[in-house]
Amino acid sequence: MSATVGLILRILFLAFLYAFLGLAIWMLWRSVGSKQASQGNIAIPSLTLSTAIGAESKTQTFASNEVLIGRSQECDFVLEDPTVSSRHARLFYHLNQWWFEDLKSTNGSYLDGIRVEEPIVVKDNDEFYCGDAIFTISIKPVE
Amino acid sequence: MPAKTATRSHLQQPRLLALAILFLFFLTAALSLADGTRLHSEQLQPDWQFFIPFFVWLGGILVLNKAVRRKLPNRDPWIFPTFAALIGWGLLTVWRLSPSLGQKQLGWYLLGCVIFWLGLNINRLSYLLKRYKYVWLLIGLSLIGLTFLVGVNPTGAGPQLWLSAFGFYFQPSEPLKLLIIIYLAAFFADQIKPNITLLASIFPTLIVTAIAGFLLIVQRDLGTASLFVCLYILMLTVTTQKRRFLWLIPAAAIVAGGIGYFVFDVVRARIDIWLNPWAQASGSAYQLVQAQIALAAGGLAGTGPGLGSPLFIPVAVSDFIFPAVAEETGLLGSSALMLLMMILVVRGISIAQATKTTFGRYLAFGISAYFGLQTFFIVAGNLGLLPLTGVTLPFFSYGGSSLVTNLIAVMLLLKISSEQAAEPLPEPARRPYRWIAAIFLGLFILVLAASSWLAIFRQEELLAKPENPRWAVYDRYSPRGKILSQSGEELAVTTGEIGNYKREVLVPSLSNTIGYTSGLYGQDGLELSQYQWLRGYSGRSYDTLWKPQLLYNQPPPGVDIKLTINTALQSTADTLLGDAKGAVVLMNATTGEIYALASHPYYDANTLTENWEQLRQDPDAPMVNRTTQAAYPLGTLVNSLGLATYYNHPQSAEGVLPVAASGQDMYCQAASEAYGEELNGYQGGCEQAALALVQNLDPVIFVDQLDAFGLFTAPTFSLRTIAPATKPDPAVLETKPLSALQIQATPLQMALVAASITNDGLLPSPRLRNTYLSEDGKWTSFREGVLPVRVIESEASARLRASLAGNNETFWFQSGHALTRDGKILTWYIGGTTENWVATPLAIAVAIESNAPDLAQTIGSSLLSLYADE
Repeated sequence: MSATVGLILRILFLAFLYAFLGLAIWMLWRSVGSKQASQGNIAIPSLTLSTAIGAESKTQTFASNEVLIGRSQECDFVLEDPTVSSRHARLFYHLNQWWFEDLKSTNGSYLDGIRVEEPIVVKDNDEFYCGDAIFTISIKPVE
Repeated sequence: MPAKTATRSHLQQPRLLALAILFLFFLTAALSLADGTRLHSEQLQPDWQFFIPFFVWLGGILVLNKAVRRKLPNRDPWIFPTFAALIGWGLLTVWRLSPSLGQKQLGWYLLGCVIFWLGLNINRLSYLLKRYKYVWLLIGLSLIGLTFLVGVNPTGAGPQLWLSAFGFYFQPSEPLKLLIIIYLAAFFADQIKPNITLLASIFPTLIVTAIAGFLLIVQRDLGTASLFVCLYILMLTVTTQKRRFLWLIPAAAIVAGGIGYFVFDVVRARIDIWLNPWAQASGSAYQLVQAQIALAAGGLAGTGPGLGSPLFIPVAVSDFIFPAVAEETGLLGSSALMLLMMILVVRGISIAQATKTTFGRYLAFGISAYFGLQTFFIVAGNLGLLPLTGVTLPFFSYGGSSLVTNLIAVMLLLKISSEQAAEPLPEPARRPYRWIAAIFLGLFILVLAASSWLAIFRQEELLAKPENPRWAVYDRYSPRGKILSQSGEELAVTTGEIGNYKREVLVPSLSNTIGYTSGLYGQDGLELSQYQWLRGYSGRSYDTLWKPQLLYNQPPPGVDIKLTINTALQSTADTLLGDAKGAVVLMNATTGEIYALASHPYYDANTLTENWEQLRQDPDAPMVNRTTQAAYPLGTLVNSLGLATYYNHPQSAEGVLPVAASGQDMYCQAASEAYGEELNGYQGGCEQAALALVQNLDPVIFVDQLDAFGLFTAPTFSLRTIAPATKPDPAVLETKPLSALQIQATPLQMALVAASITNDGLLPSPRLRNTYLSEDGKWTSFREGVLPVRVIESEASARLRASLAGNNETFWFQSGHALTRDGKILTWYIGGTTENWVATPLAIAVAIESNAPDLAQTIGSSLLSLYADE
């Protein structure tokens, strides 16, 4: 008698223990899914970069929240110029603003003539240098 | 959007908590019935004491839950229910292992709840922690310092890591873990990215960690010291966002392990045990080996709460609580425990990424890493994946300081979780958190894999290890099978009541054969070799086996077995041998069935506990079974063996067989007198005859014939047997023919030689087991299936019997004597029946450790002729 009831209790123990785990993991799964969805829904003002170096000029518009500039093919904005480092600088969207960060490039980056040492907020129509290349930023606000 | 999902998860939180309460309630109820279940009780009589930890836990959790809901409406919904489940399970486990320690642990739990509640109500707690970081650090370090002056160890010996007051013990290294995390989080959060080198920016933390580590190393708390180093490296990785720091962990482990191996005895011992635990299974690795066996005993679904024997692991309640949980709840339970920990760690790391302040972020990360690392350290140590470190399993291990620290850590985590940032961290800053979460996931999967390896794949092997003492518990709760003689007289039975069963040997002179089963001294004899039958594992259908296993975690009642022993012949052998030291083996020459097996002096298995030490030290070795394990020199028994060689291989000797006259020396003269007739030199065991024979034989053929008789191989038997001699080099025999007389053999081996002479040259395989009582109530034969082996030609055996029968019609025999190494005389007698004998063919070997040819003759001829009367 004791043994049979004990066995039933053991089974119930394991069943409810796994019910706990099941519910907790299901909740985690749901929250990961909805977080990704909500991140996708954050409206990011689109960013357009124009550059001119020598005779070459290039314009590109981005919808992502991060733009990598450099000579390397893995960058989002590729620029073939010896004064530009392979991963030169980065623009990223954080706290409702676009930020510019120099990635320890060889020739440095300059905004309004000042060397960029730390991430700095950029606005529409700002101009910056990566090596010898001049960039113009154009930010289109979200409608 | 985020707000909406948060509320959705929050709605589930009471459900999670309800499930935790339910599963712990069922665990409590199952534990309360365990004692009744073990005794197969028909009534439901719960042991109510298990409801004490349950309701105390529930009370604390409900009060804290109310406070948490009021104070922290935006908290993480997973942390609190998971923490509640873990701590409740832990409290019940400690109580189950030791109710008295369980009571103390409950006291610490209540203290922790009070601190938890107070912490919730201090609104500026974060600020205070961050602002006065050096104060907290200093307090922690000075408490450690204090253990140098007034440190104690609750067990009385070992490292003095505790402070004591009013009978309570406090281990300062536990809160120090949390204080160091707070300090590091605060320090790193204050760092503004300046233009100084990395080394300069982390220098103060390096010093602090080194001091804390140094203090702990001096105090020999090496587990906590290595935990600090790992924790520091993980925090460095997250704050600097440099993945390469992670490589410091294996590097530091190798360097520290290498240095520690040569500097600290403790480290060397731990690493040696880790590398090869089974080498010291009954010594320093005892705990580890028992832990692995406990996991195997648990298997997939566990023995059932309260039904296992986790207390076989010393200090299961603190360092080895994980195997204790695994034994009683199985792989299912231990995996669930690891998953609960994993949820806590993963949620902690996500809280870190989502929180508003840098300090909160680093603190939440530090706490999660602390839980994850500590769990991995101890569980991997228990499983043998890492050398053992004496850190606690969070929420489970007995220890007040650790429990209170864990409660405070969870409270801090909850507070941090309620301060979420509006924006997620930028991607690069999130990366190190993801690496580390992935590393933890990998480690936890590793632990699960190792647990399954021990509990499932190596289960049978581990449970069969001699180090597994669970059979002693089974013996108390389920009767062993009876051991009966050939005609059904009881030789050994189980007496007493369930929970207190004892084994009784009814024929004490057979103790060396039957052996003993004792929780203290282990098993021996048939009790050991027939364990599978007597314990009921063999000879039972699966249907009979699984039910008691599942319901009670006990084997079914054992299977009764009948031996080939004939009680009348056995008691005659015992009476005749009397106080003389020696052995008698009487067997059926055709089938190999043993009818009598006497070894004198003997011990009484029923008084083993009282006499153990005396018996072990007795120079007469009463616990050695002389029939199967005594190494007696052959002496002039080489006569029979030599004659057998000569008749079997006539080409082995040059010319004709030398004639051996009787009475050439005092020993064969005495033999002739004992037998009341003139024995020829071979039969009487004259030394001259033996020498002439050995010198005349080709040593290569002679040695091969001895080998064929099985003198150099231990017989396969139900008792432990030995072959005292290895095959000698024939060249040595050529130059020293007398060395043949020093070749050693056991009485059982000589009885088998006698059997082959009687049985027309066919050597039978010895048998002691006859039948077992099968489930349908019939006595069924053991299928031994070993056929007799031809060792000499039939014709040769007939000639040999004729030469050794003398004037006797029905028996052949040879008397012999040997000089033992310590200069004593040993008397031999081997014999058997001839073809004129109409009943069962018999063979006998008698060995007496003195010059007693008349006694040997009496025993031999009485037993042979007594069988005719039977």
